Amino acid sequence: MRIAIDTGGTFTDCVYLRGNRLQILKVPSTAGDPGRAVLEAIAQIAPDGHAEIRHGTTVGTNTLLERTGARVAFVTTEGFEDSIAIGRQNRPKLYDLFFTKESPLAPDDLRFGVAERTACDGTALQQVHPHELARLKAAVQAAAPEAIAVSLLFSFANQESERAVSAVMREIGVPVSVSHEILPEFREYERGSTVLINGYLAPKMQSYLGQLDGALRANGSRLHVMQSSGGIASATDAAREPVRTILSGPAGGVVGAIAIARQAGYQNIITFDMGGTSTDVALVNTETGPRTTTELHILGMPVAVPTLNIHTVGAGGGSLARFDHGGALSVGPQSAGADPGPICYGRGEQPTVTDANLLLGRLDPNSFLGGALKLDPERVKERFDQTKGCLASVQEFASGILRVANSHMESALRRISLEQGYDPRDFVLVSFGGAGPLHACDLARALHIPKVLVPNFPGALSAYGILVSDFVRDYSRTVMLQPEGAALHEHFRALEEVGRRDMQKEGLQGAAVRSLDLRYGGQGYELNLDWSADFVNRFHQLHERRYGYSDPNRTVQVVNARVRMIAITEKPVAQREDIRPGDGKQALLAGGIYDRARLHAGDRFAGPAVIAEYSATSFLPPDAEACMDEWGNLVIEVAA
Amino acid sequence: MTDPIELAVFKNVFHSIAEEMGAALRRTAFSPNIKERRDYSSAIFDREGNVVAMGDDMPVHLGSMPMSVRAALDKLTFEPGDLAILNDPYAGGTHLPDITLAMPVFVEDHPIAAFYVANRAHHADVGGTYPGSMGLCTEIWQEGVRIPPLKLVGKGVLNRALLEFLLNNVRTPREREGDLTAQIGACRIGAQRVLEIAGKYGMPRVMANVEAMLDHSEALVRAELGRLPYGEFTADDYLDSDGINDEPVLIRVTLKPEPASRRLIVDFTGSAKQVAGSLNAVAAITYSALFYVLRCLLPEEAAPTAGLMRPVEIVLPEASIVNAKPPAAVAGGNVETSQRIVDVLLRAFSQMIPARIPAASSGSMSNLTIGGTDPRTGEQYAYYETIAGGSGGRPVGDGVPGVHTHMTNSLNTPVEALEYAYPLRVRRYAYRKDSGGAGLHRGGDGLIREVELLAPARVTILSERRRFAPYGLQGGSEGATGRNTSIENGAAHELPGKCNIQAPKGAVIRIETPGGGGWGGQTTNSDRLPHYPNAT
Repeated sequence: MRIAIDTGGTFTDCVYLRGNRLQILKVPSTAGDPGRAVLEAIAQIAPDGHAEIRHGTTVGTNTLLERTGARVAFVTTEGFEDSIAIGRQNRPKLYDLFFTKESPLAPDDLRFGVAERTACDGTALQQVHPHELARLKAAVQAAAPEAIAVSLLFSFANQESERAVSAVMREIGVPVSVSHEILPEFREYERGSTVLINGYLAPKMQSYLGQLDGALRANGSRLHVMQSSGGIASATDAAREPVRTILSGPAGGVVGAIAIARQAGYQNIITFDMGGTSTDVALVNTETGPRTTTELHILGMPVAVPTLNIHTVGAGGGSLARFDHGGALSVGPQSAGADPGPICYGRGEQPTVTDANLLLGRLDPNSFLGGALKLDPERVKERFDQTKGCLASVQEFASGILRVANSHMESALRRISLEQGYDPRDFVLVSFGGAGPLHACDLARALHIPKVLVPNFPGALSAYGILVSDFVRDYSRTVMLQPEGAALHEHFRALEEVGRRDMQKEGLQGAAVRSLDLRYGGQGYELNLDWSADFVNRFHQLHERRYGYSDPNRTVQVVNARVRMIAITEKPVAQREDIRPGDGKQALLAGGIYDRARLHAGDRFAGPAVIAEYSATSFLPPDAEACMDEWGNLVIEVAA
Repeated sequence: MTDPIELAVFKNVFHSIAEEMGAALRRTAFSPNIKERRDYSSAIFDREGNVVAMGDDMPVHLGSMPMSVRAALDKLTFEPGDLAILNDPYAGGTHLPDITLAMPVFVEDHPIAAFYVANRAHHADVGGTYPGSMGLCTEIWQEGVRIPPLKLVGKGVLNRALLEFLLNNVRTPREREGDLTAQIGACRIGAQRVLEIAGKYGMPRVMANVEAMLDHSEALVRAELGRLPYGEFTADDYLDSDGINDEPVLIRVTLKPEPASRRLIVDFTGSAKQVAGSLNAVAAITYSALFYVLRCLLPEEAAPTAGLMRPVEIVLPEASIVNAKPPAAVAGGNVETSQRIVDVLLRAFSQMIPARIPAASSGSMSNLTIGGTDPRTGEQYAYYETIAGGSGGRPVGDGVPGVHTHMTNSLNTPVEALEYAYPLRVRRYAYRKDSGGAGLHRGGDGLIREVELLAPARVTILSERRRFAPYGLQGGSEGATGRNTSIENGAAHELPGKCNIQAPKGAVIRIETPGGGGWGGQTTNSDRLPHYPNAT
């Protein structure tokens, strides 16, 4: 039996296959000890053990966001001990005389230099002397770190020094993260930051996943973990390289959306995952699969391992609305969070997006979370009336809040579509997360996206994605080559050989997918595209599409070679329901709200309408038409 | 009455267009200066040249960009498909390396442009006496090629003759061509987006909201000015020297708030005459510095539009260090004098609102330019970098170490990118311990950067605060002054704050940048421990 378990802020969502049927279970999350909820859920689903468990975890993300990771030492080339703290020497806010910078994960007394130097072409200018290694070991040991991260200058061009240093560091007996093993790519700050974050997370993740894995192995189960790249890894690999799990849950959502859309026959989708504090969006071709980026930042710190190209904005159901001193309405990025929560939950005082939705009748006060939480519309009206400023009515205030929140999300959607050279009219908006389906139709209209798809169980799509994800391992190296010549193939072959060996260790048969990071010689950013014989031509085309021009006379430079090893996971056979034309009237509840669970394939009805289900609510505006398809998806034609 | 919802939506829309223009430029540019250091900015202007939205880029560009658009508007008659180029500090520019492109946006068939989009990027070389065009000149003609407002693109057709003429006058033509192409591409993207907005909402609605955005900024700044006390508040500070004569250069400002009418007069009378060296600031720069300071006093949501300056009157003495006239050299006015103008303004404001003003930050961009022939390729190169210092201690906590402050926010060039691109090797990049001024809240430490030349090269340093230290406030101590050193064959020689030298292969140039001033009287002398900014 295969079980996917995604830890969320409020619920731990489980999706699994019993026989041929997809089942869902939600158990309350156990914040201090997330593994408890995971084990409880497994005990309910598979009391006899022998299950393949796949886990979307927030332990890595939360450890980083809450700054509760290890006392980690950072070792780099002498003279550059501070460069990881200096970062790019810019400030996060331009016009704030009181700006602050996130303090470095490795403070002053935990940053160490080693006398050595490699040149950009890999020449060893200064090799590490054995005395220097002994000195370094003693100094690091004396600082008593709980983890160590090693990233020397140009280690990707010549691994010798870094090998020698990391061998000595490993004698200390704490987890050691090494840059040429995790990310053999150029740009020392981005690489160093990634390796340092890995070290910072390693002890906690090793203990969390180790305990969970131990408990599961005892009854014959195995643990796997969802990575930010959209692929599954073994618990051992994830514990060694936890920096690859930072977007574990959101990646599951994107993979789930792809699987659902592909099944329903849609090739081009934009995923729209709106939660309580933030919204994640991604643009995907479901045939070729999701693209990854290496430019993720968390708390201003770069994370340069491949991550699904997900763009996040600080607007969600809990985003707070207020008027600024100049009289403009602003919404977010501050959020009411779970405590105090929106006004309608009973304790919040400041208007939120969720309150605005309730006030405008887009949320059913009685069926929220299956009726487990009764919402208080009177309280919302009262508070809105006190805070509506110069606006004429609470309705105007509420619809204003939605418009401003939507404008933030619209910018995010534009950024991943129009700004990358894609026309939203060619896409379907796949909407999920607790709040996504409430806003999806308005956003689709604003961007001329013709169709919105709300999958079944939109609140558990991440877990579904994790269930159907393939096993993935990513390999890369900086090569700095001209496109011609045999050297590139040698690099690919070497990466693939390591990849195949690693996959075999896991008992998997993997296929290799090659890709390249390319730029015009002299540019500072690369475009990633799959390898093919005519990749140079395709690069010119992609550059033209993305940036409006290309220059076939300029030389093209291959910066990084990448290999992704993929072992396909057997996908569950979807349940299909025959289309029977209907009007959905059988699903109408008191108050004119549709109960999603009682809609049949083929039911079709027009907006305005509200469709409620356990974990989410969909809003169908006037002139939009919804139809249940044969796979249980709600497909909405929004009409511009 | 302004509609607060429309206003919020339009603020977001225009800001994201400016940001998109910047992202496109950064990703397609060729010089490390633009792509890695992000020394560029983007903005959108209304039909009169009022700035409506800016990207979160370089403050020194932002306040001065409107002058570029204004100069182009005065000089040229725009038609659809045109695009103007300029860099002349005496006709809308700031200093020659900053090349500005401005493009009109025509909506429907209206013969007058409804908007302008513009971007400005610092080019690593624009010719002149010294590689990198940031040397110690005494006349503008020595500083590089001077471009008045001209059409680089006319009715959609690139003016090849003009481009070739420009490229013929710079040391790194291929890189310049790539960067200019990237700037053109970014302008076109911006223009396209503005047209989409006009199409989506209709011009009457767009224009009404543009006016509302300007009014919104004005309302915010007036609210602030209304809270200032009556009086005259004068502050002084000095530039070390102009690099030619070893004399301090005075900058003086008097702030005269008029709280009842919610206005402010900013008078620079008493500042020094323009100088022989290149530290002269043209009026656009002084205007930028003031714009920046005012914006900093406003809440986060204030959009930096032209409305901010409506209630402000600025008095600039003619042919002075803050309002230079031709043929004064100006390369350093943009990068160094601009910082000192901010220091003086903040010092004057600290007399009125002491709890809201930090001590002086490093006050210099510590500009390092290295140029010569790359032995690996035989081609000319020009490397330019600004090196951050410490930020001043604040009423709420310590200053931040090693960070760009006030008029710049450029990034460093990654060591591994730099060594691929140039015949240079970075030897050290570190905090300069104990360079921040003591106080209740310490100033942030400066930085040390050491660069080794792998081939003989021409080195230009343009730095400040090597003599007059960043001031402390409310009893805090000064930050440490900066120091420049050349190390050849193991022997270290101190270099002046501003110099051009020919250095041999193997020489190491060491730049130590100033720390920030301290804020508040010191409680003990013993707490000179590693420190990080307190969370606010």
